[in-house]
Amino acid sequence: MTYSDIFKDHLASPRNAGEIPDADASAERINPVCGDRLRLTLLISDGRIERARFLAYGCPPTLACGSALAEMIEGMTIEAARCVSRQQIADALDGLPARKQHAAALAVETVRAALDAERDSDFVMVK
Amino acid sequence: MRRVYLDNSATTPVDRRVVEAMIPYLTEKFGNASSVHFFGQEARAAVDRARREVALLINARPNEIVLLSGGTEANNLAIRGIVENVADHGRHIITSLIEHSAVRGVCDALEKRGWEITRLPVYDDGVVRLDDVRAALRPDTVLITVMLANNEIGTIQPIAEMGALVREERARGRRHLWLHTDAVQAAGRMPVDVEVLGCDLLSLSAHKLYAPKGVGALFVRRSVRLTPQNIGGHQERERRGGTEAVPSVVAFGAAAALAREELSQRIDHMQRLRDHLETGVAARVPDIVFNGHRTQRLPHLSNISFRFIEGEGLLINLDMQGVAVSTGSACSSGSLEPSPIIRALGRDDEMARGSIRFSLGKDTTDEDIDYVLEVLPRAVENLRRLSPLYQHALADRACVVADEKDVLAPAI
Ligand SMILES: Cc1ncc(COP(=O)(O)O)c(C=O)c1O
Repeated sequence: MTYSDIFKDHLASPRNAGEIPDADASAERINPVCGDRLRLTLLISDGRIERARFLAYGCPPTLACGSALAEMIEGMTIEAARCVSRQQIADALDGLPARKQHAAALAVETVRAALDAERDSDFVMVK
Repeated sequence: MRRVYLDNSATTPVDRRVVEAMIPYLTEKFGNASSVHFFGQEARAAVDRARREVALLINARPNEIVLLSGGTEANNLAIRGIVENVADHGRHIITSLIEHSAVRGVCDALEKRGWEITRLPVYDDGVVRLDDVRAALRPDTVLITVMLANNEIGTIQPIAEMGALVREERARGRRHLWLHTDAVQAAGRMPVDVEVLGCDLLSLSAHKLYAPKGVGALFVRRSVRLTPQNIGGHQERERRGGTEAVPSVVAFGAAAALAREELSQRIDHMQRLRDHLETGVAARVPDIVFNGHRTQRLPHLSNISFRFIEGEGLLINLDMQGVAVSTGSACSSGSLEPSPIIRALGRDDEMARGSIRFSLGKDTTDEDIDYVLEVLPRAVENLRRLSPLYQHALADRACVVADEKDVLAPAI
């Protein structure tokens, strides 16, 4: 299996790694097939993602996708972040091996879950 | 960048002296060993010399050595060759849960064709128990195939005891039971003697012995009959058709001779450095587990599970710093199952996924190990900082400490 230089660079120097203590939104998702895990915490203000931090466990594509995702969505509006696609994440890494596309899917699922949780918490506040 | 190769169980570099020995057979001594003329006879003589060296390495006779393309073919010929030959007498095979895929795959394929397979457990130390072998024996058992030393954790299996068991059975009048052992990882790293082991068949591969890839041998004890799997040539006394790979065979012979001469120095050297590596890692990296029996194992290999992280990420990080190792993690092996070997030790998925194999060679140096000890702790730490499992564990530990304080507080 060969990975691109950008991919390996994400692995050696992950972007935005860590956890935001008082996050406005967070989600942790597990790939049920292989047990890979991605955790995302976000600081949000005025409908924009101000900070994004990720933690990941699993095969290298999961770590690299977490890193690419967290880097990409910082500064995005919530709507834009919700629309980030698997392809965008794969492109940011100069491609993923065909059998590793599920790592990008996990990243997409996690950011959407975090943003859904944020919407739900707004709903709770309004109520 | 400094490069440190600690993946000698995958393959070894070809020894300079081995290259020197094979070069004439790639150039002016190019004959086909089956030809009657001078060129052919020159090649024939070289093949015979090499065969003698390979035989000497394992204390066999030259005519008990079948030269072929490597460990995988040796295992295929041994297992299929035996069981197809005696299919009328029984169709039960005993093997272990930690065989190399070249044995595991053959057994799986035979199972689909109607053979019954018993796969023995290895317990938490990675060693098959003789009692289990005895208990698994049935009247229709025709073959026991258990590796001499494992490729992922290096544990050495009690083959000599199994050999004695098979001889006991024979003494009681049993005629159709054979013992095969895959010694691909063991040869050149521990003494291998077919008389001591009492095996009927034994597989070897040259590229784990500082010779090129694509050549190996199967030891077939004199009295043992095999159904050939490569048909269409008279080579190797009808046991394996195909023109001999003369240059590779010459290299194999040269490497076998060197392995025999240098065995004890190689063992001492690799074991000293391996122990230095393990002591160093244990002192610098918390939350690790050494896999496999602590003493009953090959001298060059160390398999370590790093908790909270996955092996391939660590492998790539080490590779970027010039250190080559391997992992049985699911991702790199191309399966979804984390290392079946580490799972067979009873470890959980996380430990199986976080396992790394360091396999040293005769040319590994103290400086190589010191370099690994310098870069490894940082690579592990970097991945752990990323790991939600690690963060959860840190939080849990903080709670335990807090709880203990609560418990202690009233007593003070
Ligand atoms: C235990 C064991 N058996 C068999 C083989 C296969 O040998 P070869 O690569 O020569 O086919 C290997 C090599 O990885 C091995 O480690």
